[in-house]
Amino acid sequence: MRAVVLDGIVLGLAFGLLGVGMTLVYGLGGVINLAYGQIVVLAAIVISVVMEDGRATFVAAIVGVLAAAGVSVLLDLTLMRPVYHQHGEERTLLGLLLTLGAAFVIGGVLTWRYPDGALYIFVSGDPISIVGVPMSVGSIWASVIALAVAAVLLLFFGATTFGRGVRSVIQDETGARLVGINPSFVRTVIFALSGALAGVVAIAQSMSGPLTVNAGFELTTFALIVTVVGGLGSVAGAFLAGVLLGVVNSLSAHYIGQYITTIILLGAAALTILIRPRGLLGR
Amino acid sequence: MWSCATPRSSTRISGGLALLEVEGLAAGYLGERVIDGIDLEVRTGEAVAIVGSNGAGKSTLFRAIAGLLPTMEGRVVLDGKELTRRPAHRISRAGIAYVPAERHLFPAMTLKSNLVLGAYPGRPDPSALELVYELFPRLKERQRQQAGTLSGGEQQMLAVARALMARPRLLMLDEPTTGLSPKIAQVAFEAFEGLKSEGMTLLIAEQQVPLALSVADRGYVLESGRIRLTGTSEELDQNPEVRRAYLGVA
Repeated sequence: MRAVVLDGIVLGLAFGLLGVGMTLVYGLGGVINLAYGQIVVLAAIVISVVMEDGRATFVAAIVGVLAAAGVSVLLDLTLMRPVYHQHGEERTLLGLLLTLGAAFVIGGVLTWRYPDGALYIFVSGDPISIVGVPMSVGSIWASVIALAVAAVLLLFFGATTFGRGVRSVIQDETGARLVGINPSFVRTVIFALSGALAGVVAIAQSMSGPLTVNAGFELTTFALIVTVVGGLGSVAGAFLAGVLLGVVNSLSAHYIGQYITTIILLGAAALTILIRPRGLLGR
Repeated sequence: MWSCATPRSSTRISGGLALLEVEGLAAGYLGERVIDGIDLEVRTGEAVAIVGSNGAGKSTLFRAIAGLLPTMEGRVVLDGKELTRRPAHRISRAGIAYVPAERHLFPAMTLKSNLVLGAYPGRPDPSALELVYELFPRLKERQRQQAGTLSGGEQQMLAVARALMARPRLLMLDEPTTGLSPKIAQVAFEAFEGLKSEGMTLLIAEQQVPLALSVADRGYVLESGRIRLTGTSEELDQNPEVRRAYLGVA
């Protein structure tokens, strides 16, 4: 039981990162990025290719994070431009369609070029006992990375001028423009951040098990659920929801079965919309 | 004290010269011109009122000057600097602070965070913060409260205070008495009077014409998107047409 919960927390931290990457873009641009999982996979494949090329894991990881951030910015500057000219329902729908298209293109190219592509970052070392449960060094590393990134993000959004500016655009874009903030620049920076987070997710996930080339849509689904449960544009909410859902995921996979787990998580998201539409920590 | 040299203001002393010049401005929505051929100017240190009924185009005019609405024709110049077709954030940084009737505060942030963001991208100048708290002591009491939970009057004060944080050259107030009780509206205008006496240049759009003329040196009467009349506040106050249309005098 304890082991299952701990596994859930490790998974949940990665979920939290995924959620942050999706919820920020949604909060700022009104775009649900359905290609997000594929961007994680892209980072994973880039890292594995660079590693096979004989580079250090650390170097490969940086290249992967940068590649994911770059692709994300490219999406913002090209494919997303017509989306931002639309408002309300049109924006949501066009955003869904175009990012879904991007998901198929990125996913398609990756499975075509790397049909057996997978990233597994093996961290050597004996399992370490945490509250009596032996945890693999990889899982511990993954958790530490996720927690560190979470701390940096919370500090960034809570205490820096630019971070405050980002929150202001989420709350009232016109108000933000009136105080001298350029929303489209903020959006591009957040797309870059979102992409970089996708890279970090790829690294963290592949430390506790292999991340395969076809994991994209599953990751997008998790990101979407975490976004809904955590609340629009809330970094702390995404992490809280991520950890909660990670634990639910592990418990349900262990005691009921993996096949029904995704349905339970989707049910949690649906229930959130019915009971608390603004999510755990959304406004 | 607001007109003192700041990073955003030039050191040129421009008393009597036009700070804001608007020439032949046309703007609107979906290709329709709501305002057309607007010429107006505001001199440094002046308070100028734009009066007119609901739908006359006051907000459209302000939105166009502030860059929230694309101009279809004409120019906007601030202290000799061309601002036409600049995006809103650039116009804000150039020194025009616009307080819309809807206020556009950041509701889930504290009052203080709203003020801090007013100085974006810089860090707020402590003396600017002191000044707005002096002007609106009520805001200091509530600085930790979320902006969305403030009363209408407090939100209006906060919107003005946030605009002042950047030490603007020109403060544009659109219907500042929206949603305020007559008593609070009076208090708000007393505060604007105070700002003016400290050297702030004001452009105020207001449906409550007597209030607007009480603080303004001059005014423009806007009707169906065009300027119908212009004159000093006394002239407008004495004008039979203005009296009939806006002052409720038969």
